[in-house]
Amino acid sequence: MSIRGLKGGILKFLKEPDIDAIHFATLEVLGEVGIKMEYRPALEIFRDFGARVDFKNSIVKIDEYLLNKALSTAPSRFTLYGKNENFDVRVDPERVYTIGGSSALNVLDLDGNYRPALFDDLIKFTILLDRLQHLHIMHAIVIPSDIEEYGVDRMLFAGTFPYTSRNYYSQSQTGADGVLDQIKMAAVVQGSEEAVRKNPMFTEVVCMVSPLQHEKVNSEVLMESAKNNIPVYVEVDSMPGGTTPAPIAGTLVEQNANVLAGIILAQLVNPGTPCIYSIASGLMDMTTGGYSGGAPETNLLHCATAQVAHYYSLPFQGGTGIDAKIPDAQAGYERAMQVLSNALAGTNFIHLSFGMMEMMLSASYEQCVIDNEIMGAAFKMLEGIVVNDETLSVDLLRKVGPKSAHFLTFKETSEYVRKNYWVPEITDRNVWSSWKAMGGKSMQQAAGEIAKKIISENDKPYIPEEQTKEILEMAKAFHKKAIMNLKKASSSH
Amino acid sequence: MISTEEIKKQLYENILNGDFETTKDIAQSSLNADADPMEMINSILVPAIELVGEKFGRKEYFLPDLMRSANAMKNALEIFEIEITKKGIERKSAGKVIIGTVKGDIHEIGKSIVASLLTAKGFSVTDLGVDVESDIFIKKILEEKADILAMSALLPITMPYQAKVIEDLKIRGLRDNVKVIVGGSPVTQEHADRIGADGYADNAVEAVKLAEKLMKK
Repeated sequence: MSIRGLKGGILKFLKEPDIDAIHFATLEVLGEVGIKMEYRPALEIFRDFGARVDFKNSIVKIDEYLLNKALSTAPSRFTLYGKNENFDVRVDPERVYTIGGSSALNVLDLDGNYRPALFDDLIKFTILLDRLQHLHIMHAIVIPSDIEEYGVDRMLFAGTFPYTSRNYYSQSQTGADGVLDQIKMAAVVQGSEEAVRKNPMFTEVVCMVSPLQHEKVNSEVLMESAKNNIPVYVEVDSMPGGTTPAPIAGTLVEQNANVLAGIILAQLVNPGTPCIYSIASGLMDMTTGGYSGGAPETNLLHCATAQVAHYYSLPFQGGTGIDAKIPDAQAGYERAMQVLSNALAGTNFIHLSFGMMEMMLSASYEQCVIDNEIMGAAFKMLEGIVVNDETLSVDLLRKVGPKSAHFLTFKETSEYVRKNYWVPEITDRNVWSSWKAMGGKSMQQAAGEIAKKIISENDKPYIPEEQTKEILEMAKAFHKKAIMNLKKASSSH
Repeated sequence: MISTEEIKKQLYENILNGDFETTKDIAQSSLNADADPMEMINSILVPAIELVGEKFGRKEYFLPDLMRSANAMKNALEIFEIEITKKGIERKSAGKVIIGTVKGDIHEIGKSIVASLLTAKGFSVTDLGVDVESDIFIKKILEEKADILAMSALLPITMPYQAKVIEDLKIRGLRDNVKVIVGGSPVTQEHADRIGADGYADNAVEAVKLAEKLMKK
């Protein structure tokens, strides 16, 4: 049985005419301002399909008919495959899922140390996250400092893919070669490259730059993924006020033009390529210039972007890290507001929603467990309220009648509670004395104990050891090759 | 005819409000009214930009205000410096800085904020933009006789290019001619130490303090 997420979309900040206005403004930007694309083959495809391309300045201007053509082939529903069908994720523009953290450079470890991330952390985090109920898609949560940065995506693959049951959210930092290397590594598990292309157990992400720019490497990865039927998160990471206009409406227009241009490219390369309209945008803090994922304005932006993506019947990835440094009150409130608002808005993938702290710079083991708890509470609210004859409970009220009584001993109550009530794992609801008697632990301590237990009891990969080893050896060789290619390229320059 | 006092007041307000679009005209009109450019810098520009800095510290002003005021300051300085050079006087800048985002990286905004704040603090700044090759950095360092090279990298995979530029400086025997500072979201003090940079700061305000500290060395 595959995972079927709850349906979101009850929370709407934009009215329908607002979304129309954003759409028309986007058409104006796509058609008259254009997108800068540094990868010539991308420009050539746009030219072949009738877009107006200025090769000298690498600008492509896209008209409405081309957008409509691309949207007509971009699927609204598809499956992201897990390592067994229980973890297949059925994607559509209504259901809500989560994605783990990504690319933190530092960790807050279980001894309370803040330090650069290591390859060993990547494996431990993946093992921990894989055992958290509300995580649906796995990302490589850290970039290890003990591995050379260039081409590190191959090593991230080796440190994550074998250790997770979930669909793996990958990336390629070097271009098309990274996608092909990863297909080869996935084939170790899936049997053949052909099987990978048919039901890929991983996806790629490409990050467009605001305002309105597609870097060479990203277009290359996008096109190679499309050719190979690998689903793509087409992502823009705007910073309102910094890299996009300060008003949320203006940022929605920039994001929309930027992301749609990428989705159009994927559809032109291979009609039907599953694309996820994605953002990891964050407000620019106007005192530090830093990125704020936890700002209320960021939440508004993400919820509104869900509506814009859904206007095109595209699944949407929103959500981002929080700004707190430790699992404290700030972390709790930032994460709760973010997750709840995104879930209610129908963000189909709440991204970076486990463990990501400090403006995406660090990852916390304890926070992963706390975030799973917050997610559980948010999903409970997403279930909403069922109103029918049974739940209206008039018969029961009749039976009990107007007298001093209670409902605790009724079968209806027992059944309803067991089936419907959310059971918290580390949320404490005891009075002071009982809480004290049980050790008087803070939520951070309780989460830390769970994380330690999971990590100490599990050290095996999800797939057989031989396959894990084979993937690691391949990753090392691919990584080495990527670095050599870079050296060759820079010395021939 | 508008009085010199009136123009001074206008210029002060212009810097304070960051209306850089009209700064050059006002600065020019002060010169037309026989104002002394050196005095204009010391009694108008400097106090105005200092107040801007204070307001920023008090969270009355934010980055856009700070950058607009810095641009206004830069525009006024350009007009006054032409006049000062004509008179054969040399105005000492706080230091000469070459700044840019390294090759392979087109992230613009971080280094632009740093450039603005350095300008506001009296540095003369040459901003080479984004995707800057090592050779271009080095050429400019030589041309400008720069005191500081400031390099930004926003991607973990472009961070090593900061090391490459430092290596190239060494190869050409220029490493001791210039202080090198590095920044960008994934950049850390550790990375700066590892690649042999002279300094690192994790935000623009700290970057200015760092530049000032290095100039005293």
